Amino acid sequence: MFEGVPIVSIIILMPLIGAVCTFLLGRYEKYAKWVALSFSLVALILSVLVALVFMIEPDSTATGYHDGRGFYNFQFYESASWIKSLGITYIVGLDGIGLPMFVLTTLLSTLSILFSWDTKLRPKEYFGLMLILEVGVLGVFSSLDYFVFYVFWEIVLIPMYFMIGVWGGPNKDYAAIKFFIYTHIASLALLVAIMAMYFQAGVNSFGMEDIWRAGQTEFTKVFQIAAFGATFFGFGVKLPMVPFHTWLPDAHVEAPTAGSVLLAGLLLKMGGYGIIRVAIPTLPEGADALQIVMAIVAIASILYGAILCLAQKDLKKMVAYSSISHMGFVLLGFATFTQLGIVAGVFQMFAHGLVTAVLFMMCGVVQHHCGTRLIPSLGGLSKKMPVASTMITIGFLASLGLPGLVSFAAEFMVLASMYQTWALWLFLPIISVAITAGYYLWALQRSMFGPMTQKIDTAHVHDISWFEGAPVGILIALIALFGVFPMLIFQYIDPAAKIVLGLLGGG
Amino acid sequence: MSVWNYLDVFTPQLLLIVFALLMPALDYIFKDKRFISMMALAPLVAVAAALISWIFLDIWTPPESQISLIDLDIFAGLFMLVFVSVGIVVVLGSPEFIKNDKNQGEYYALILLAITGMTVVAESTDLIALFVGLEIAGISSFALSGFRKTEKRSAEAATKYFIVGGFSSALTLFAISLLYGVGGTTNIASIGSVLTTSTTPWIIDSHPVVLLAAVMLMAGLGFKIAMVPFHMWAPDVYEGAPTPISGLLAAASKKMGFAAFFKIFLVAIIVTKTDWDEAVAVLAILTMTVGNLIAVSQTNIKRMLAYSSIAQAGYILIALPVATQYAVAGGMFHILTHAFMKSGAFMVVAAMGAVAVGEKLEDFKGLSKRSPFLAFSMTLFLLSLAGIPPLAGFSSKFVLFSSAVEASFIDGQEWMIWLAVAGVLNSALSLYYYARVIKNMYMEKGPAEKVRVQPMLGAAISVAVIMVVAIGIYPDAVITACRHAGETFSGLVSGWP
Repeated sequence: MFEGVPIVSIIILMPLIGAVCTFLLGRYEKYAKWVALSFSLVALILSVLVALVFMIEPDSTATGYHDGRGFYNFQFYESASWIKSLGITYIVGLDGIGLPMFVLTTLLSTLSILFSWDTKLRPKEYFGLMLILEVGVLGVFSSLDYFVFYVFWEIVLIPMYFMIGVWGGPNKDYAAIKFFIYTHIASLALLVAIMAMYFQAGVNSFGMEDIWRAGQTEFTKVFQIAAFGATFFGFGVKLPMVPFHTWLPDAHVEAPTAGSVLLAGLLLKMGGYGIIRVAIPTLPEGADALQIVMAIVAIASILYGAILCLAQKDLKKMVAYSSISHMGFVLLGFATFTQLGIVAGVFQMFAHGLVTAVLFMMCGVVQHHCGTRLIPSLGGLSKKMPVASTMITIGFLASLGLPGLVSFAAEFMVLASMYQTWALWLFLPIISVAITAGYYLWALQRSMFGPMTQKIDTAHVHDISWFEGAPVGILIALIALFGVFPMLIFQYIDPAAKIVLGLLGGG
Repeated sequence: MSVWNYLDVFTPQLLLIVFALLMPALDYIFKDKRFISMMALAPLVAVAAALISWIFLDIWTPPESQISLIDLDIFAGLFMLVFVSVGIVVVLGSPEFIKNDKNQGEYYALILLAITGMTVVAESTDLIALFVGLEIAGISSFALSGFRKTEKRSAEAATKYFIVGGFSSALTLFAISLLYGVGGTTNIASIGSVLTTSTTPWIIDSHPVVLLAAVMLMAGLGFKIAMVPFHMWAPDVYEGAPTPISGLLAAASKKMGFAAFFKIFLVAIIVTKTDWDEAVAVLAILTMTVGNLIAVSQTNIKRMLAYSSIAQAGYILIALPVATQYAVAGGMFHILTHAFMKSGAFMVVAAMGAVAVGEKLEDFKGLSKRSPFLAFSMTLFLLSLAGIPPLAGFSSKFVLFSSAVEASFIDGQEWMIWLAVAGVLNSALSLYYYARVIKNMYMEKGPAEKVRVQPMLGAAISVAVIMVVAIGIYPDAVITACRHAGETFSGLVSGWP
């Protein structure tokens, strides 16, 4: 269907054109949301089409890379020379790992724009920046050249810095700059690693495939361990992993709701995606040597994040810490080096993207309608906002892993793969399942049910607005759909995961 | 005929000098001072156009040099392009800034003469020509920074700059005489060949003398590029000098120091590289770290930019100890991009100074509402200085830092990876104070009145913005040119690493 059409670039360009249009609106900035919505909607529709075509009529001539152990099969492959003198080529393409993330990006961007429908403060900048953020994230999930990857990776920082800094909460200055510098330092570790891989490979190309291929003979074990350490740090901070997670609660609490949705739903996924796309396949021996470190960090994140959630008074902060815990599952899945674990890790990223978007949106709704998110000040809201509290309940249940909803499939598979690799050490991460259920249900009890609170002016509390309800409703429908039919996503991830595993010398 | 033969490669300087000498006369004749600035712009644009059509469009090639003092190779050509480009930006930005000052003709004459001196340094193949160039540029800059002689800060800046500059010239000259004594010639490449290939015992034994010269040069030229610990003058001078001149000093004059540094260290005394490379590496790391650390606490934007350009000098210094063709290309590239980002940033400050807004960090509060153009341009310059893609500063830092990574794969040079690590960590540190300015511009509330940008200043800033974005998005042509420069440069002396 898309033969000869640079469809991936077109999808990446859509929000960029949209952003330029919104910035140019001038006096007509009240139409910014319409412009932003239409461009992101076009990108969403196109990316869903791409996903369908990917599976229904696979591109048989897809440019791939064969290394004797595995075959990377990227469809919608595009390549154009960019900086010849350094061997930098603009390459984009999608495989079964990138595609779910790619579609998740267009989906969450569109829904976040819809959710922010009543933004009054500088709307044209707000929606423009959201679109630029979308460009960056789409680029990260589709680029197949390290330089291009890094450029997109860094582009993401700037709109997010402004979103937190301009539209954020009371402590936004501190949060914005902390986010910017913290994640920038991590990116720079990644940058040095990329440079080192480029020279060590010695093929005068930043193309991921070229470096993969050359790396199999050129990368010594010591080099791999060092480079893996640097890339793992770079991606891990974004993930975020304990102990480099402290930027996340600050950024989340201060960011506007849509910013939090994109931050948790997409930006954290960039970290996980980087580990499975860059770090592990390119540096398999390094990954092998540091496997246990990955596992320990993952379990620490899972448990520590969950325990911190118990102590939170702010609903949004609790959700933010729960992200640390849930992204720990992603890392744990990857660290097992099993087919199941890698599939589960990628699927957990997708699941967490959907679920956390619901949770942050609902935190935004509570903040918006009640004027506070502090759990002790809330109570009995289910009477005042029945629809909203139903949605929160579904979101919490999805996040704690209720069977039939999307996270269950993902977390169950991660734990199963953990058992394959480390057998009974499984008891460590499994504790978190109980803690997670605990903090969610406890929070639900205190904020939504029980006697009506006297601490806030409940007279003006009314139920969710249409533009808030619609995105959450769509997400909940998807959470249920993929919870019942996880195969819909597995069929994409599975073949790609097999290839990653092939590079690790297993499978 | 014969005279012109000798003057072939000297044509740009001739053009600049003739116009420089015309300036005071024009000032006397014409009442509309903007016309004078246009006349000052003419030779700069002409030289820039000629250089671009040679280096990037390949329309013509300069003739072989007939004199041994100067030669126009691609390395020199790129440096000259940096100098005249900065000159264009500075001259465009000046009329509004100095509209109430006297002696405007002399002002432009001095700018043109300073740039003449810089181009001589870039072209020099001989230590004497190099020194003469340094002095022409230096003396013109002293006078320029004291242009507002009735203003205390300006006079203080000029005095400080003059004393320090004079001292550094003396050290440089002493070093040159030592090199002459050992090499028996003042030709840079010949000194290099003599030191590299000579089997004469006393020349081989005279390495300590060469090293003494190297130390003096580090101090003498270190003053010019504001290398730590010889950087103290820079913030005071940049703060006190008229803002466009601060731009000229930071973006061009400093680069002249690098041209000289490259020529002497990487050609004349390259054979002693293993003796000084670690020292220069330490100084490079010190320079970037000290510059960035002190920049964090600045409240005056010009001082902040001054410390930031000290830090940038530290990045460029990475090219010296690494000393590969690729590193020279990276250094060149960063010199080129830094010229645009830094002069652009100073022009934004000048644009605000021209309407009496002030140059404190607080004065930038709410600028995004008062002048979206200035705020957006400043944001681009600062993000580019911090090395955020896809802006020019990222591409050049990428090449520069990656050259250190490349060199670290060679046995015995593993420590060079730390140059890259220090560079990237410092980039992260610098983001902190750049982001603060951006925060003030976009996230704070300021006075409501609009800031009007004069058309010529606007043009100057636009030129810089376009270059920063264009080089960032499509750096290939520039990187290729810089790599050519690196190749011709290393061809000057045998035994280059």
